[in-house]
Amino acid sequence: MVESILSLLTLLGFPDWLQSVIIIMLKIVVILIPLLTAVAYFTLAERKVIAYMHVRIGPNRVGPRGLLQPIADAVKLMFKEIIIPHGADKALFLFAPVLSMAPALAAWAVIPFEAEMVLAQVDASLLYILALTSMGVYGVIIAGWASNSKYALLGAMRSAAQIVSYEIAMGFALVGVLMAAGSINLGEIVMGQQGGFWHWYWLPLFPLFVIYFISGVAETNRAPFDVAEGESEIVAGFHVDYSGMAFAVFFLAEYANMILVAMLAALMFLGGWLSPFEGIGIFADSWLAAPSILWLLVKTSLFMFLYLWFRATFPRYRYDQIMRLGWKVFIPITIVWILVIGVAIVAEVGPWFAAGVAHG
Amino acid sequence: MNFIHPQFSLALPEMILLGMISIILIADLFISDKGRVVTYLMTQATLVLAAIATAAVMGADVALSFNGHFIIDPLASLTKLFIYLVSMVAFAYSRSYLIERDMYRGEYFVLGLTAVLGMMVLASAHSLLTLYLGLELLSLSLYAMVGLRRDSSQAAEAAMKYFVLGAMASAMLLYGMSMIYGATGTLNLWEIRDAVAEGSGHSLVLIFGLVFLMVGVAFKLGAAPFHMWVPDVYHGAPTSVTLFLSSAPKLAAFVLMIRLLVDALPALASAWSDMLVIIAVLSIVLGNVIAIAQLNIKRMLAYSGISHIGFLLLGVLSATPEGYAAAFYYAIVYAIMSLGGFAMVLVMSRQGFEADELSDYAGLNERSPIIALMMLFIMFSMAGVPPLLGFWAKLAVIQAIVAVEYYQLAVLAVLFSVVGAFYYLRVIRIIYFDKPTERRELKPANDLKVIFIANAMLVLLLGLFPESLMNLCQSAFIY
Amino acid sequence: MPQYRRADRIHQMLENYLPVLIFIAVGLVFGAFMVVLGMILSPSRPDDEKLSRYECGFEAFAGARSEFDVRFYLVAILFIIFDLEIAFLFPWATVLRELGLFGLLSMTLFLAILVVGFIYEWKKGALQWE
Repeated sequence: MVESILSLLTLLGFPDWLQSVIIIMLKIVVILIPLLTAVAYFTLAERKVIAYMHVRIGPNRVGPRGLLQPIADAVKLMFKEIIIPHGADKALFLFAPVLSMAPALAAWAVIPFEAEMVLAQVDASLLYILALTSMGVYGVIIAGWASNSKYALLGAMRSAAQIVSYEIAMGFALVGVLMAAGSINLGEIVMGQQGGFWHWYWLPLFPLFVIYFISGVAETNRAPFDVAEGESEIVAGFHVDYSGMAFAVFFLAEYANMILVAMLAALMFLGGWLSPFEGIGIFADSWLAAPSILWLLVKTSLFMFLYLWFRATFPRYRYDQIMRLGWKVFIPITIVWILVIGVAIVAEVGPWFAAGVAHG
Repeated sequence: MNFIHPQFSLALPEMILLGMISIILIADLFISDKGRVVTYLMTQATLVLAAIATAAVMGADVALSFNGHFIIDPLASLTKLFIYLVSMVAFAYSRSYLIERDMYRGEYFVLGLTAVLGMMVLASAHSLLTLYLGLELLSLSLYAMVGLRRDSSQAAEAAMKYFVLGAMASAMLLYGMSMIYGATGTLNLWEIRDAVAEGSGHSLVLIFGLVFLMVGVAFKLGAAPFHMWVPDVYHGAPTSVTLFLSSAPKLAAFVLMIRLLVDALPALASAWSDMLVIIAVLSIVLGNVIAIAQLNIKRMLAYSGISHIGFLLLGVLSATPEGYAAAFYYAIVYAIMSLGGFAMVLVMSRQGFEADELSDYAGLNERSPIIALMMLFIMFSMAGVPPLLGFWAKLAVIQAIVAVEYYQLAVLAVLFSVVGAFYYLRVIRIIYFDKPTERRELKPANDLKVIFIANAMLVLLLGLFPESLMNLCQSAFIY
Repeated sequence: MPQYRRADRIHQMLENYLPVLIFIAVGLVFGAFMVVLGMILSPSRPDDEKLSRYECGFEAFAGARSEFDVRFYLVAILFIIFDLEIAFLFPWATVLRELGLFGLLSMTLFLAILVVGFIYEWKKGALQWE
């Protein structure tokens, strides 16, 4: 398909560089449209799932079974006034949502959906993702400060401190993955897990796997770590003064980040697009054992569902408990586990760390 | 991948120190206030251990390690040994002062040891990188030590001033280093020397780099016109910190200067010698003249320190091995005298009383003749009265500049040491001839008193037999 | 020849990063577009009460940008230290297999020094929130 578009562009007389830019833009659109649809329907899924867990029905008015609800929400938000409060720093106030949106989207540039299906084949893709997800905290801080509201500032401080705290645990967990895979490229990390369910990194890196996902939940400020926007304490946290589309952008960024964290968990710990039936005799030659993007989506959905399940199940943590969990539980465990993996690698404990398994 | 393992054993003293710092930091967390003496003893034991290790790795030869970033030569080993000695004395002096002021905590000793580690790295540095590493380790620890007394606004101001100006000086130094690196393409001091000697470096960039290096070094030494921080920091910091700050780090700063100017840039000697002339003259003149106007003894000693650094620079600017040896001698002598000078303040002070005004010393002779006598030795030595230690140091540097025919400079140095003698003698006059304002008996802690007397006697004895120390210093430069 | 190959590799690398750059630009433009779209489509009828900052229905009685707990600052400092630590670990982790035991021991030492600081912070209560 790319070739046919390219020949069409050549026919129309576009210069080379413009052609490649157009192809890249098209690929970006191909990533963004499903992503934004997923974000929209994730919000609906959230309400539905939580409703059923509460034995309610959830949204069911707009469209069949409420299926058009996200669109109605989007339209509503679009026509709502964007209020810029007195004393707010107008430029920063409007810039903050953009700053939290851009990294949440741009991180997807290096996500591989299948062996060759990746927009940018970058060597340091994991580093890039770590860098971009760290950028999100700027949006939060700037929003809280620009709003000129006590609640927003407090919420921003809390959420920034929480994000950076869990980023450390998350970073250490990523280091564990890197050690196991011997590569910083996400595609190679997935390929390092070949060999079926028991070869995926969730098993040798189990503590890091759990810590990674919990840190991901805390990083995205989701329940049960959502004190930053704890309704009962500081209303909605850093975006309390945002309305209309400005608010919607924050909302979108948060959900895009959640999906990103879920997909990264699937890629790094559950073998990405590899099939769980790989290497099992009866399925050996069937489509079930073949790697496919479908497996990645299934695994990602599993983690996305966990997000919702957590929210419906756990009561909110207290702030000191959150900080204690991050600093005094997760960081020590990850440091110890990194050393354990280090020893395992040097001692070549199989089957994950045997010599020659990974791409060194 | 195969590594060429560096010769770790050469850095044994540094490793011991780092290991012990970690142990002390953790151990101190579990020690109650009553058992704090354990921290203190561990600190002293660390320095003894490091001294033994240094003596063990010390050889007549020069040895390089860590890809040429690290050097063991007589200068490095001797400097380290003197740094341990001076630091041990400084810690011993501080103990009772700290107890009285509720500062007797592990952090003081850990920071002090980290500063010592920084000085050791500096002394053994053989590349711009290690030089900077050691310098920063030293400086950052000192900033924290100055500000250790958080509730004192004076100390906080001093720490802030020190930090901001010190960071700026570090930046200057780093900028100069980057220029030198840019001009020669290497960080290794000897390779820089060879590159400059071959004339392959860009000379203008080199000179610019040298100017920045000089600013940074002058600041760290506390030489005029980069001396502004010295009186404020010496005055604002707790006296025990001032004592440490004014002694051992000067030795380290001296080595920093030798490494940069003599080891790396001997080919530019004519350029840096001229710059040092200006710095030295300014330091001697400003230090001695302004010290006269000081009524606070810590400030007075600070300005006297500036003038001493000026004298020290005289030895370096002669650009001869004899001159460097004389400057090294001066640095050691100054460290010993400075310990004694600030220890005077420690001996006089007690809980709730800092004894840093000159008037506090009135009639000390009637209260404690022995301490008064010791103070007399130290003040005379600082003034350069024969046969005390300070005299020989001044003589050595003046001989060094006479040898290279800087006669005017020598005359100026002598003149201003006479000016300097005025304010040292004023302290003596106050101690011996003024009426005491209070008659309370002077009761310094025993260890403080004993070490103070030993310190002052050392000034006297080394003054009577100056040869041995001088020979030691010469062995570092002339072999 | 190697010179040429190196330039080629750098070129290749930059080409790999071009989509990333474009994606970041698209992300920024997309975010800005949404906000601008909202501002165009939505009504704008400000009044004093509406624009007053949110304070639970009360009149705001003090500036919002006030002091906050110094602990947040402490967390920020600790974060920088640990994040740098992680940045050091990243390249090491990818080549650990080639570094072997020496690499492992070096990093263990590095982590040990980090842990010493960590224990210190912990015992001093820097990680304590109440």
